[in-house]
Amino acid sequence: MSRIPTASATIGPFFPGRYVDAGANDLTLRDGRVARGTAITLSGNVTQADGTPLENLILELWQADAAGIFDDPADPRAAQADPDFCGWGRAATDAQGAYTFRTIRPGGYDAADGSRRAPHLNLVLLFSGLMRELRTVVYFESEAENAADPVLAAVPPARRALLLARLEAPGRYRFDIRLRGAGETPFFDD
Amino acid sequence: MKDAFHAPRPAPATQPARIIEGYPQTALRTPAEPLIRRAPTRSELTGPRPASRVALLGGDIAGHGAAQAIGQLMLLRGRVLDEDGSPVGGALVEIWQANAAGRYIHPNDDDHAPVDERFYGAARLLTAEDGSFELRTVKPGAYPVPSSGGWWRPPHIHFSVFGRVWLSRLVSQMYFPDDPLNAQDRILNAVADAEARQRLLARLVPPAKAPGNALAFEHEIVVRGARATPGQP
Repeated sequence: MSRIPTASATIGPFFPGRYVDAGANDLTLRDGRVARGTAITLSGNVTQADGTPLENLILELWQADAAGIFDDPADPRAAQADPDFCGWGRAATDAQGAYTFRTIRPGGYDAADGSRRAPHLNLVLLFSGLMRELRTVVYFESEAENAADPVLAAVPPARRALLLARLEAPGRYRFDIRLRGAGETPFFDD
Repeated sequence: MKDAFHAPRPAPATQPARIIEGYPQTALRTPAEPLIRRAPTRSELTGPRPASRVALLGGDIAGHGAAQAIGQLMLLRGRVLDEDGSPVGGALVEIWQANAAGRYIHPNDDDHAPVDERFYGAARLLTAEDGSFELRTVKPGAYPVPSSGGWWRPPHIHFSVFGRVWLSRLVSQMYFPDDPLNAQDRILNAVADAEARQRLLARLVPPAKAPGNALAFEHEIVVRGARATPGQP
């Protein structure tokens, strides 16, 4: 019998400290084993409409491995997925609104509809005052495959650059997130 | 982009308004630009199994014997389903709540209500193959929202759920039937549809049919799923 999805609600201010396990923001390790591919860090600040940095905002990351394969049996290439990479992590912002993930630079993949997804990181944001989760996608600057990515193409051209992580140093990417107001990060409705 | 590849979205009235009068943080944090519609791709139609990366805490947070938390002992029989009504087994469910006095174990909760040292208030478990889970706890208390002009949160329990795919990710709250504070809660009433609000209320199991000395409740959580995922991702 079909059912209607349960209404979401804000995560609120009082989720427990244990919600973010130590090491949950490091995707490069699984049970002590090291994932294949190029290790990178993704860091940035999260701010609200008046520019205030937001503390204890939760970010969750879901991504493909270095070969563009998700750790899910539904991925058509699941059998070749890196067994040492689970593709999911969770981070919280600190008092300055800063977060960091350590992960593997994902590969792109051929989608079922014949298009090609550029390498990207899928983020969900949860915070007090967000009645539904926010979803965004992080791309890598100077990546040739960005031009043909169907999701980036759905973003108004003037806002696409807001979804590019900037290379700050070898292996270090920066992606600041503005929830609302000047330079607002594009978010998606699925 | 072909419409056929869009996941069906829940009717807006069954989901909360994003900006709520009397809850000013919503207006500072909700995007002003329209959300961008996209056709789901493999990124949204696959999903993680995060249990390998987090510590499970179990579903019994009421304590035992002399370490029993203060409050009304309650048992919640929950179930996670997808939109087709199919059970979601192996789903990670994270649960937290205030103690019986309406106080959270949290550095930012400076309410006057007492902390109960025997109650931490956080569970984390996996659903069984039939989508079911059990939470043994004490009934949470209500608490006032600071500087809100008299808004009290009714007793409620927070849920964070991972379904089969990334689109299934859900954070929600469950309430108790017949609580007089439900009618004035700004978060519960952000959902316009009365039936959708009703589905956020747990159902009381007739006490004569409840096991042991606990009040028992049932609650169904429906995550976006099968119907939203036609074809191969």
